[in-house]
Amino acid sequence: MSDWNALGDEAFRAEVRAFFENEFPAEYKFLPRRMRWSECRGWYLKLSKKGWIAPNWPREHGGMGLSPSKLLIYYEETERAGVGRMPDQGLTMVGPTLIRFGNDAQRAFFLPKIIAGEAIWCQGYSEPNAGSDLASLRTEAVPDGNDYVINGSKIWTSMAHDATHIYVLARTDKAARKKQEGISFFLVDMKTPGITLRTIRNIAGHEEFCQVFFDNVRTPKENLVGELHKGWTIAKGLLGFERLNIGSPRRPLQALEKLEMLAQARGLTADPAFVERLTQLQLDLADLGSLYRRFVDKVRRGEALGPDVSMLKVWSMDTYQRLSELLIEAAGEYGAVEGEVAMGDEAIDVLSPFYNSRPGTIYGGSNEIQRNILAKYVLNLPS
Amino acid sequence: MSETLTEHAALLAQSVGDFVQHGADLPRVRALAQNHAEFDAAQWRQLAELGWLGVLVPESCGGLGLGLAEAAIVAEGLGRGLVPEPYTAVAVLAARTLEGAAASPLRDELLAGLAAGSRLPVLAWQEQPDDFSGLQMATTATPFEGGFRVSGEKRFVIGATAADGYVVSALAGAEPQLLWIPRDAAGCSTAAQPLADGRCYGSVSLRDVVVPREQLLASGATARGALDRALDHAAAVTSAELVGVMKRAHEMSLDYMKTRVQFGKPIGSFQVLQHRAVDLHIQQELADAVLREVVAELDAGPDPAARARAASRAKSRCAEAALAITRAAIQFHGAIGFTEDCDVGLYAKRAMTLSAWLGNGRAHRARYARLSAPGAREAA
Repeated sequence: MSDWNALGDEAFRAEVRAFFENEFPAEYKFLPRRMRWSECRGWYLKLSKKGWIAPNWPREHGGMGLSPSKLLIYYEETERAGVGRMPDQGLTMVGPTLIRFGNDAQRAFFLPKIIAGEAIWCQGYSEPNAGSDLASLRTEAVPDGNDYVINGSKIWTSMAHDATHIYVLARTDKAARKKQEGISFFLVDMKTPGITLRTIRNIAGHEEFCQVFFDNVRTPKENLVGELHKGWTIAKGLLGFERLNIGSPRRPLQALEKLEMLAQARGLTADPAFVERLTQLQLDLADLGSLYRRFVDKVRRGEALGPDVSMLKVWSMDTYQRLSELLIEAAGEYGAVEGEVAMGDEAIDVLSPFYNSRPGTIYGGSNEIQRNILAKYVLNLPS
Repeated sequence: MSETLTEHAALLAQSVGDFVQHGADLPRVRALAQNHAEFDAAQWRQLAELGWLGVLVPESCGGLGLGLAEAAIVAEGLGRGLVPEPYTAVAVLAARTLEGAAASPLRDELLAGLAAGSRLPVLAWQEQPDDFSGLQMATTATPFEGGFRVSGEKRFVIGATAADGYVVSALAGAEPQLLWIPRDAAGCSTAAQPLADGRCYGSVSLRDVVVPREQLLASGATARGALDRALDHAAAVTSAELVGVMKRAHEMSLDYMKTRVQFGKPIGSFQVLQHRAVDLHIQQELADAVLREVVAELDAGPDPAARARAASRAKSRCAEAALAITRAAIQFHGAIGFTEDCDVGLYAKRAMTLSAWLGNGRAHRARYARLSAPGAREAA
C-alpha cells in the first residue's frame, strides 16, 4: 500500500478526484437524501478493494493513515464529486473507538469486518427520555452467565434498518453516585433475538432514522468495550472528533454552491440587498475555514482537542442553516416547491439543504448544549 | 489564540503586554482623551526605543525589517491597552507608503526618522468616505518649474495632530503623485475633528502649497501601487488593534459576570447571558483566526486583488466582532456600563473609531463582493 502522505497535496487531490469522478455511480451523485446500503454497497466495496474505505484509520488496521491535511482533501473531493454519506458509523466511530479503547480480540474480530463492508454499524446513544441529557439514559445491561442482558430502547438511530451491528451505551450500575458513572459501552449484533425496529419518517419524508427496542437482548461479555461502568469516558473521548467533523466547512459549502448557482440563474447578483446578505454568508463560511484550519493544525501537531472545538460545530451548523434559508428566500415562489426546480440551465433542489441542515444543530449535542459547554469549560462561567 | 504563535512572536506579545501594563494604564489614556490629546512624546520615544515603530522599516533605514505578523502583534497589544498614539497610522500606513515610494534620500531620511521616533510622517490621502484607494481624489498637483503647487482638502487623517508632515496624494493631470509636505509649509493648515474616543481626525487643507521637486516621493503606477498596498496592510493591522480591543473588553465582561451578584447568584450563572457571551467569544475567535491567516497571506506578497480581498475579509470580521463585543460589554455591565467612569465605554468608543477608519465592515464587505463575485469557495 502506498504512503499517501508522501505525495504532494495537489498530486493526491488529483488522484482522489479522478477516481471519484470516474468511479462513483452517476445516478447517486448529489442525492438529496442519505444513500441506503443497497444503493451504496457497490461503491463501499470498490473503495474497500482499493484500500480507500478508511481514510482516517492507521494503516496497520487497514486504513489510509492520512494526515489531517490529506484527510481534508479526501473529504473535500468526496463533496465535490457529489458522493453522498454512506452508513459510516463503523468507519468514523466504532473503528477509532476500538483502536483506542478496545482489546486485541475485538480489534481482530471487528475491524476487518468494517473494512470489508460485512459489519454496518449504527449508534445506540439517544433514548426517548435521554436526548440532550444523554447521561440520564435508562437502557440497562445486567450480567447473566457469559452474557449481558440488555433491556430498553434507543431512538434517532440513523440507518439502523441497514445496520448489522449497533454500539450501545447502557446503564450497568444504577447505584452509582453520579449519573455519568455506571454506564458501559457494548457492541451488539442486530440479529440477536429481542431486537426490533420501528422506522421514523423525518421532516423531509425520508426514512433515515429508527427507534430500536431491546427486549432481553443477550450480548456476550467479550463485547464490552473498555472497563465496566466507564462507557461515558469512551463516549466523551469521541466527541472532539465528531465535532471537528461536523464543524468542517464541508456541509455548508454544498448549500453555498447551490445558492451561488441559483443567484446566477435568477440574476440576483444585480440586487445589492441580496449581494450584501450573500457576501456576509460567504465571509461567514470563509472565516469558518480559518477557524477550522486552526483546529486541524492542532490535531496535526498531535494535541488533544479541548472543549473549545464546540465553537466550530455551533458556527458551522448555524451558517449552514442560514445559507439554506437564504437559498429558499432567493428562490422566490419556487422556494415552496418540493424536488428539483429548473432554473436557467440548472436544476436545483431548493429545499434539500434546508432539511439536511436542520438536524445539525440538534444531533451530536445540540448547539445550545455546545454553548453550555463553552460557557462552563472555556469561559469558566459559574453554574 | 496565542498557542499558534511561535516562541519569538509570543515573546513580542509578552513585551507589548508588559508595556501597556495589560490594560492597567488606562488613567493615562483617560487623561489624554479628556483633552482630546492623543499623543505623549515620552510614550512615543519609548515605542521607538523598543523598535516597534520600525517593525516594518527596512534594516538599511534603521528598522527591524519584519513583517505584518509582527506589526499585528504590536498593534493587538496596543489595542488592548487603548494606546491612543498613532502606531498603525505611522508605523504601518506611512511606513509602507514610504517603503513603496521611489528610492530617494528624502524617503530614506523619513523612514529612518520614523523608526527612530524623530520624524512623524503621516499619510494624507483620503477625501471622501468609503474610498479605498484614493480614486475619488480631487487634490491637484500642478507642475511648475522646480516642483508642484498643491491644492485640496484631505480628511480622516489619523495622527495629524502629532505629525511633522504629510505624505500627500494628488493628481498631476491624470497621474497620481505622492509628495512630502511639511506640516508648517505655507498654505498647509490642519484642523482637528474630535472623535468619540478622544482622538482626532485631521482635516488638512492645502492652498497652493509649493512643493519643490525633490519632495516628490512617487509618481504614476509607483505611487498608486505604494498607496494601495499600504492601505490594505494598514486595514489588516487596524484589524489587529480591533482584536486587542475586543479581547480585553470581553475579558472585562466575563470578569464582571463572575463577580456581580443579583438574585443571590453571580449573573454569569444565567444561561441567557452565558449563551450571549459564548456567541461573542465565537466571533472573537473567528476574528483572531482570520486575522492570523490574513497577515500571513499578506506577508507572502500576493497579487493586488488577492491582497485587497484578504484585507477586506479581516477588517469586515474584526470590525463587526469588536463592535458587537464592546456594545454587549455595556449591556453586561448594566447601568455602570453607561457611566463615564466605567472602562468598557472607552473600549466601545475605540472599537467605533477603529471600525470607521479605513473602511467599516459594510464598506469592506461591499469591496469583498466586488473582488470575488463568483464565490468565496477557495477561501473556505
